[in-house]
Order: sequence, then structure tokens, then C-alpha cells
Amino acid sequence: MESLKFHFTPVDAARPNAVNPHAQPTTDRPEAVAMLRDAFGDGVTGDETYAGETTVFVAKGRIAEALQRLHADGYSYLADLGGLDRFTEDDRYEVFYNVCDLHRGRRLRVKTRVDESDLHLPSATGVYRSANWFEREVFDMFGLVFDGHEDLRRMFMPEDFQYYPLRKEFPLLGIPGSLPLPGHLPGEDLSYDPFPAASSPTPKSFQEPEVSGE
Amino acid sequence: MADPLFEEGFLTTRLDYVVNWARSNSLMPMPMGLACCAIEMMAFAGPKYDVARFGSEAMRFSPRQADLMIVAGWVSYKMAHTIRRIWDQMADPKWVISMGACASTGGMHRCYGVVQGCDNFLPVDVYVPGCPPRPEAVLHALMDIQEKIRNDYSLAQDYTAGKIETLDRALVGAERPRIVAPDGNRIVTPDILYTQN
Ligand code: SF4
Repeated sequence: MESLKFHFTPVDAARPNAVNPHAQPTTDRPEAVAMLRDAFGDGVTGDETYAGETTVFVAKGRIAEALQRLHADGYSYLADLGGLDRFTEDDRYEVFYNVCDLHRGRRLRVKTRVDESDLHLPSATGVYRSANWFEREVFDMFGLVFDGHEDLRRMFMPEDFQYYPLRKEFPLLGIPGSLPLPGHLPGEDLSYDPFPAASSPTPKSFQEPEVSGE
Repeated sequence: MADPLFEEGFLTTRLDYVVNWARSNSLMPMPMGLACCAIEMMAFAGPKYDVARFGSEAMRFSPRQADLMIVAGWVSYKMAHTIRRIWDQMADPKWVISMGACASTGGMHRCYGVVQGCDNFLPVDVYVPGCPPRPEAVLHALMDIQEKIRNDYSLAQDYTAGKIETLDRALVGAERPRIVAPDGNRIVTPDILYTQN
């Protein structure tokens, strides 16, 4: 009998000279990188082009100014903004901004990294109004605080929820006793998420097999 | 109806039949469309599957005018409080259909934000399996509810299980009246209504 094996998707390292057959010239933007480097010097911490798409890394203290500069240059539309947990020792969180120039057909990705010791970064709502709800979502899911956001409340989770669910250490099934449910009858006490409480004390996501070091 | 002559006599049981016939053929659904299942619920109401054949075409978005809640889609913990509140605003008698895998069990959303089955806070009458269930399955659930109503007691009292007057309000709260066993304040499950034809 064949023994079962658990297969993981291999992790792709970025290949510098990779060719993306679907890449469009709209996303390859060396001149935007040069423009930001001129304007901010050390504020631009790096750039990379992968599969024909340009990404600029900006120091988090200057991200609002950098976006302001790009906005003035014609990138007038913030298509997307999100966070991710890189789960590393330093610069644990990353926030990305996808900006578009609708008139000249250009796209650029800007990224900034936030360390766990200081979760504050400047808000982009002063530059792009569409950043409002995106930043609320990032705050809800990762606990990053956007300074200057006028209404930084939780987006999806109840406002008195105490955890940040998309951080890697948060168990998939939730934390027992953290989310109230209405009782069966009117006036009955709230019950507290019966499902994670009924499972074993170790969250299931901690019991899953891990990637072996390769 | 306090007179024993009327309690389980010819008049009240015939009247019961008429009331239940009217009630079961004019259910007004409250469409609690929460996710993708709501699309199939629209098909169920639309002209092809045509729920008007069963008298339920009048979807009411006001809980005061509805007596059948169709929970269609996954229920997040945040939404659960709203659903419960809408349910509490609906006038008695009222019924619930839990439509789809997500509303019944949490389905594939086996994660922190989704209630693992809306029966954690609602008294569900019919569960419909499927992801999403076909509109026929929802029609079948509606017919099950109709059958349940036709077998219910609305005016006549069910002496096989005890008198309704012995109902203890503190035990059942403001819920719809339940049958209480003769030996005290124990609520009898509705199965007894089906076993004693
Ligand atoms: S059961 Fe399927 S179709 Fe229905 S809400 Fe869940 S995922 Fe969507």
C-alpha cells in the first residue's frame, strides 16, 4: 500500500530575470522609482521588478509624502491597500498600496514595512479618500494604527473584540470566550462561541503538520 | 375556549383545520439573505420555480409582516445579534428554515468569524442541505413547514400531553406557547405531536 504524503506548495523565491508572458508595459515603471529616489533619497529603501511589475519600498515615516508625490505625478487612483504578516523577527508587518494612473495607463505598487515594536504609520486618507475603509480593515485584521485616520474603528469584527485575526499566531477556529452569541430565548444570557470551546483546548490550527525544513 | 365542551370538540378541531389550512398556504417569508444562498432563494421566489404556487410569494422585508424566516447564507458572529433581534420582532406563530450548509453547520467556513450553525441561537424547524440547495429543495422545505403547521394545534388543546394553562412563563419566556407535560413544568418536544395522529 502506498503511504500517504502531505504535499506543500513549494515556496517560490523571486527570480530577478523572470519573464511574465502576460506582463504589460503598464506595470514596468523605472521612471517612477527614479522620481521617488530623487525626491526622497534614503526614504526609498529599495525597489524590485518581478515578472515585469515594479514595486517600490518606502520607509514607513515617509509613506504619506511618497503617496502625495505620486498623486501629484498622476497616480490619482488608489486601487487597493492591504496588510500582511511576514512572520519575521524584524519588520514583521508589511502594507502595500496599489496605485494607478488612469489617464496614462500606469500602475505601481508601493510597499512599506512596520516593525512589531511600533505599530504606528501615517494614514493615506489625506491623499486618497478610498484608503479610509482599507485602512480600517488592516487595523481590524492586524492591529496596525494609521495615524491621522479620522475614524479608525474595526471593520468586520465586533468593536469590543480584543484580538487581531489575521496575525499568524491567531488560531483559525478563534479563541473561546471572545465572541458573544445571543441566547436561545429573549432575555437569556449571551453564550460564548460554543464551537471553539467544544473542541479540544489546543486549537486545531496548531495541530496541523508543519513544513519540514528544506 | 375555557368550556370543556369546546376544548377538543368537533367545533374547535374543524376550526383548527381551517386555521391551519389558511396559515400553511399563506406563509410570508422574511428573506434573511446573507451570502450566495440568497441567489438561489431569489430563484425560488422567481417565475421559474414560482413559490406563488404554495402561497409564499409575498416576501416581506419587515419582520412585523413575516412569519417564516429563511436564513440563507453563513452567519457571522456580528450578524447573529441582528438576526436574533429580527426574529424576536416577528409576530407569533413563526418558523425558521436554515438554508444551505453554512446556515445549518457553518459549512466550509470553519473559522473564527462564522457561527457554526444558526441553531446556536434560533429555533430552526427545517434544515436544507446543499451548497447551495436547489430551489426545489427550498420548496420542499417550505412544504415540510406547511405539513408541520397542518399537524399543529392552534385552537384545540392537546390533552395527550397536558394543558396549556399549566405553562410556566418563567420557563419558556415570551416564546410561543409550548405543550407542558402533566407532571410539571417540563416542556414536551414537538415530536409528540407527530406520533399521536
Ligand atoms: S451553503 Fe454554499 S451557497 Fe450557501 S452560503 Fe454557504 S457557501 Fe454559499
